[in-house]
Amino acid sequence: MNQGNDLFDLLKESGYRFPGGALSGQTHSSEAAFPFRPTEGTTILALRYRDGVIIAGDRRATAGNAVITDRADKVIDIDEVSVMAISGSPAMAYEIARILGHSFQYHRRRQLQEMSLEAKLRRLSLLVRDNLPMAMQGIGAVIPIFATYDLRDGRGKIFFYDALGAQFEGTDFATTGSGSPGIRGAMYYLNRWGGRPFAELDQEEGVGLGLRLLFTASEHDAATGRYERAADVFPSVKTITAGGLQDVPVDDLRRIYGDFVEQGGPR
Amino acid sequence: MMMLDEPYRWAEAVANRRDYIEDQLGSGSPVVGLNYRDGALLLTLGRGQQKIFEVYDRIAMGAVGHPTDIEKLRQAAIDLAHVIGFNYSEADVTLQQIVHFGLGPAMKTAFDEIVRSPYIARVLLVELEDPGKAIVLYTVDYDGGFLRTDKQGALGGIPEADRVMQRYLAEADTGRLGLRDALDLALRAWAAGRWAGQLEEMPNEASDLDRAADEADVTGVLRDALGSLEVEAAVLQRSRTRKNKFRTLASREIAPVISAYRGSKPAGD
Repeated sequence: MNQGNDLFDLLKESGYRFPGGALSGQTHSSEAAFPFRPTEGTTILALRYRDGVIIAGDRRATAGNAVITDRADKVIDIDEVSVMAISGSPAMAYEIARILGHSFQYHRRRQLQEMSLEAKLRRLSLLVRDNLPMAMQGIGAVIPIFATYDLRDGRGKIFFYDALGAQFEGTDFATTGSGSPGIRGAMYYLNRWGGRPFAELDQEEGVGLGLRLLFTASEHDAATGRYERAADVFPSVKTITAGGLQDVPVDDLRRIYGDFVEQGGPR
Repeated sequence: MMMLDEPYRWAEAVANRRDYIEDQLGSGSPVVGLNYRDGALLLTLGRGQQKIFEVYDRIAMGAVGHPTDIEKLRQAAIDLAHVIGFNYSEADVTLQQIVHFGLGPAMKTAFDEIVRSPYIARVLLVELEDPGKAIVLYTVDYDGGFLRTDKQGALGGIPEADRVMQRYLAEADTGRLGLRDALDLALRAWAAGRWAGQLEEMPNEASDLDRAADEADVTGVLRDALGSLEVEAAVLQRSRTRKNKFRTLASREIAPVISAYRGSKPAGD
């Protein structure tokens, strides 16, 4: 019987092997073992606005200079109030997201209560750490942002990680991915001296700001995609509030993108 | 064990086991399951301890029996569902698998091994089929025997209670009922099962039982029970937009239905 009440342990008992450690026997440097660069370029950002958290990511997946797709989804629903946004290896990130989603659900059903936020963060931290061998190979690093709504505190929260699984709370905003250096300073500046801190923005303003920042990132990073009329694919943008997790509908994105990015709009 | 070397003694031991378990289960509060317009409803009455549980996105269970045995079976069902759901996909988790490969064999093994303690529990599980409008119900007995039904399922402490409740439910086309009417019918069916479970003397013939059940004061049984027990009910609700269709009914949804019985005066007052 599964005494630990953890789905990950139960899966391992049933024969599942987490791929993050699969190559741990190898000690070659990443270049020698894996001569082509894997997909890892992206820009993800999260910010706390008036009602919770807005989290946004571009849709481009790249390998070296090649664009693999402009329709990748890198902001992944985990449960009804949480998302994980990923930069790094999509294969490992999707696997980690899948384990997390199933684990939270399993816990809720088996223990008849929701897993605490602390425990959720800890689960993610352990998975990122278990993935270290892949990260060391240079092919499977996953550096997630985890955003959720803490129903006890009544506010949205943003957490970011390093490749070793250390977890930090980014109080007002967080950004990760190859495009993030191009906007991190801008986010700090806007939040501090931009007139109004992010926490005072309403949803429309927050989403508009997120779209502007992603556009800015794509200006300086070839691995970050941007909206193109021919493809008509918008970035993934989600809101997390006391009412739960929601995708910002494409029609709203189209309107807000027009107002904020193309017209220059309010603020 | 000497006992197991002799076929007759083994049969006797099994019979003793049945008597013992049925004696333990006899007074258990029944569980009723039925389809209604927007999915499936599970209902029971109890003293506040949860007896209806979510197993997976579209699967729920209720049980009669020893709380620890119910808990073990619940966890086994959840474990199996989640391992399948992770290794394959959520859509691959079916109630048939959980009963045929999980609960059925586990309960049969525990029952057959005379040196082990059996599960003192009977389980009713319900699944919302996807796509389509059908529901699937399984009752699993303490000896691992299971029965699949559609539309309605009922589980009391003893098989006679199942029979009385099934007859009660079968008279209605429950798939057309709204939630409130479905709740009312489930409550009355529960009371019919309660009545059967509390009979001092069980009629020898099923037809005698049916006749007695038709004359039973179901409303009176229900009114008495509502004096000391709480209604617990949950639905697998098709119209829920989330993947997860299970929802425990709030007391404000149940209150209007039971107030009709709580308010009514006992006959003869």
